[in-house]
Parts: sequence; structure tokens; C-alpha cells
Amino acid sequence: MKHVKTLATRNLKESMKKGGCGECQTSCQSACKTSCTVGNQSCEQATK
Amino acid sequence: MIHAYRNNGYNIVLDVNSGSVHVVDDIVFDLTGPVEEALTARFGSGDITAPDAEGYDDSVLCTELVSELSGKNPELVSKYGSDDLKDAISDILELRRSEVLYTDDVYENYVEEFKERDTVVKALCLNIAHDCNLRCKYCFADEGEYHGRRALMTEEVGKAALDFLIKNSGGRRNLEVDFFGGEPLLNWDVVKKIVEYGRSIEKEHDKNFRFTLTTNGTLLNDEILEFANKEMGNIVLSIDGRKEVNDKMRPMRGGQGTYDQIVPKFQKVAESRHQLRYFVRGTFTHNNLDFCEDVKHLADLGFKQISVEPVVAKPEDWYAIKDEDIPYLCEQYDELAKFYLQRHKEGKGFNFFHFNIDLEGGPCVAKRLSGCGSGCEYLGVTPWGDLYPCHQFVGNEDFIMGNVFDGITRPDIRKMFKESNVYSRPECQKCFARYYCSGGCAANAYNFNGDINTTYQTGCELQRKRIECAIMIKAALAE
Repeated sequence: MKHVKTLATRNLKESMKKGGCGECQTSCQSACKTSCTVGNQSCEQATK
Repeated sequence: MIHAYRNNGYNIVLDVNSGSVHVVDDIVFDLTGPVEEALTARFGSGDITAPDAEGYDDSVLCTELVSELSGKNPELVSKYGSDDLKDAISDILELRRSEVLYTDDVYENYVEEFKERDTVVKALCLNIAHDCNLRCKYCFADEGEYHGRRALMTEEVGKAALDFLIKNSGGRRNLEVDFFGGEPLLNWDVVKKIVEYGRSIEKEHDKNFRFTLTTNGTLLNDEILEFANKEMGNIVLSIDGRKEVNDKMRPMRGGQGTYDQIVPKFQKVAESRHQLRYFVRGTFTHNNLDFCEDVKHLADLGFKQISVEPVVAKPEDWYAIKDEDIPYLCEQYDELAKFYLQRHKEGKGFNFFHFNIDLEGGPCVAKRLSGCGSGCEYLGVTPWGDLYPCHQFVGNEDFIMGNVFDGITRPDIRKMFKESNVYSRPECQKCFARYYCSGGCAANAYNFNGDINTTYQTGCELQRKRIECAIMIKAALAE
């Protein structure tokens, strides 16, 4: 496309199909613990 | 729903519900809003799946939209010309056809179902010491005592906490345990005994403990560092940045500054961990609104994993961030984003916790919308074993959920937290950032509004700005 460059992103709607396993870590907006912010968290399925 | 913004010379259009990010030129940037409006007027939604949109030919729709928008927005025609206008609208409709623009929120029922799942406890924050050798001015933990009594966790309570975690973790293998305080190094022998106990029982239960430590660093020594490097998955080191900033807010009990003694220790920790699996973590307040300078300072000290975060304080506190500070703080995030990119381009990059965002991976939408896990998957434990929804609630006895010996005795509190998510917070419905913050911090919401199903607006404003910067950084690094 001439006017648009789309970055590679995980499609959130698609993530409904295999998501929701609940294996991921808890999350926190603060680095006062180890948890990540939600937007940066690893999907445990992706790391298996 | 889309969020279109300009940052550092980039025009960015975020399609909120699909998570797609488009870097666009000026004409598409100017058109995304009007085109969405026109589509919504026709179909009730910009989404391609809107009932009346099915089967509608895009080339016909494009011609009609050009004509309609030329009438409504003649300045666009004079600015870009009708050929370019048509070309840009065609690109926009192609994105829509690919379901990466103007998508609807289709997740509410799905998350409601997800909410009904059986949750397990995945993580505990052990307040190993309600005591501290510092007198930080902004301490939410009341200088370590959490508005209660000075106390150290015993080995017996710590072991019972791990037993409770194993018993309540279901089939989940990796279990997180944070050693928190107060200052955990004031009770280091018990930390070691709890870790040793955890290692001795994890195999028989097919579990793997991931221990972490948060410390002010003043008591760090080689023996502690060696043990921590062997056993702690992550270490959080508290320092606010520049010497004068740090020492004003983080003095010893006697008032002396801490900067000079902690910096060399923290540098040693960072190097010994190969600049990974740690964070230097600072807090900025109304007194150092130019916090970008503190991040730069920490980067100049050689740290590669940095987090500097806004203080959460009562409005009447002398160091509290005020509403009128927000525009300046947003400028600081912009400046920091530019500095971050510059350092990366120079090969001297560092990670800034609040700019970390994973667009290609990251969690599924269920996780993104279902909250942080406090009160059900994550619990805080006091030195005497009481369970709270998270470390930020410790001290507010209305939130005691049980204890590590008897388990959860207040399932009603757990249920309240489990049901708290993006859809239970009205303010989140119109916010583009909801898939990146998960509805925000329940403790902040409660402390400011008396209700966990609300939002802490000052925090939200800054969170939105950080996400805008984080996405811009991804766009810049993708070039």
C-alpha cells in the first residue's frame, strides 16, 4: 500500500482461538515486583 | 475503535480491538476519523462485519465516500486533491477488508466466560520484613510497617506460605515468589531458609519456584549476591536516579543519603548478572518532574534495565503528582523516548520498563482484558501469614482473605477481584489503552475512589502516554 505501513502485530481476535489457557504470569504496572506489564508479557504457549 | 496520534514525526493509527498498528502518511492520518464516521453513519459501525456492510463492493463504496467527504470536508480536497483522496480511501478500505482497521470489540462475552474458570494461585508476595533501615518519604508501606507493627517473617510462616502455594496452584508448574518488605535483607537468613525449603520440595510436587528479591541495597554483600545470583530469577534494586533526587527521598534512618553506598553495589549486581534479570527501579514525584534526567543518569551509570515510575500518593501529600503536572510529564516521556532511540542507534541501548511492549507476541486477549490477577492468582502475605489481595492492600484489614495455615477464608473477596476486569470499569470502555494495561491497578482504584472497579485517572493519563511512546519506538525501530 502506498500510504500505509503496517507493523507486525499479534491479532487479538485470532488469539481467542487458542488463548485463555490461564498459564501466563500475573501482571503488574510496577516493576516493584517481577511481573511484566500486560503488554509485554510472554505467552506461556509461545515459550513451550 | 481507532486511536490516531502523532509522535516524534510518526503518524500512528492503532486499531484498538485487533491490536493492529499502522504507520500512515498525512492524508490517511487526516482521513481515518472522517471515514470511520461515514462508515458508522451507513452501517452502524466501521467494522467490516457490521450486518449491512456484507457484500458491499469496496470500489463503489470508495467512490461514494470520496464524493461524500469532498462535500463535507472540502479542505481535504484542496489540501490533497481528489485523486490522492481516492487512493488513500482505497487503502483504508483495504485495511478494513483485512479486519485490521475499525474492528469492533467482540470480547465481552468471551471474557465473561473466561472469568468463570477455576483460578489457581500462581504467585505470592512475601512481606518478609515489616521493617526497614531507610526512611523513604513516599513509602506506601509506612516505612516498612504497613500501618501496623514492626515484624519479621518466621521460617515457619515462610514454609507454610510455600506449602499453601503448592496446594492451591493446581496444575501450574512455575510458581512465582517475591521477597518483599520493608527491607527483605533485614531478614536474610529466613529468606535463605525459605528458598532452601522450596528447592527441597519442588521436584516431588513437579513445581518450579521462581524467586525474586526487591531490595534497597544498603545491606547487600558478596555472600548475599552469590546466593541471589544462584537462586533469584530477578532482582529489583531501588534507586531514584540523580544523587540529590535519591538522597532527598531515600535517606537512612539518621537522615544520611544512600546514593553513594548503593550505586557501586548495584553496578556490581548488574554486571554479575550480565545486565539481565534485574531492574534498577526509581520513583519520581512532584519534586523531580524532570525524571527523564534521572533515567539518563541511570543509563549513564551503565544500567541496562531501568524503571522509573510515578509516585502514587494522596493528593495532600507534599510530593504528590498534581493534575497540572501531567502535560510536563508527558513531554518528559516524549523526551525519554527520543533519548531511548538515540541510545539504541548508538549501540548503547537500554530497556525502560514502561516502554517494553511486545506487539508480535504478548498475551492473548483473555489475559489482556481479565485484570492483573491480584486477589485470586496473586496474593500478598504478611510476616505473620495473613493473606491480602496484593502487597498494596496489606494493612487494610478489611481485605484480609485468610492466612497461610488455614487458607482462603473470605472467598467473597476473591470473587470480587476475579470479577474485576476491563468490562467492570466503565472508564475503560472508551480508552484505547485497555489491551495494554488490563484495566489498571486495583489498589490505586480503591485508594483513590474506594472501589476496585474504577480507575485512577492520573495513572491512566500517564499510562496512555507511555503506550503511545512505546508504540512509536516500535515504529521507529522497524524502519
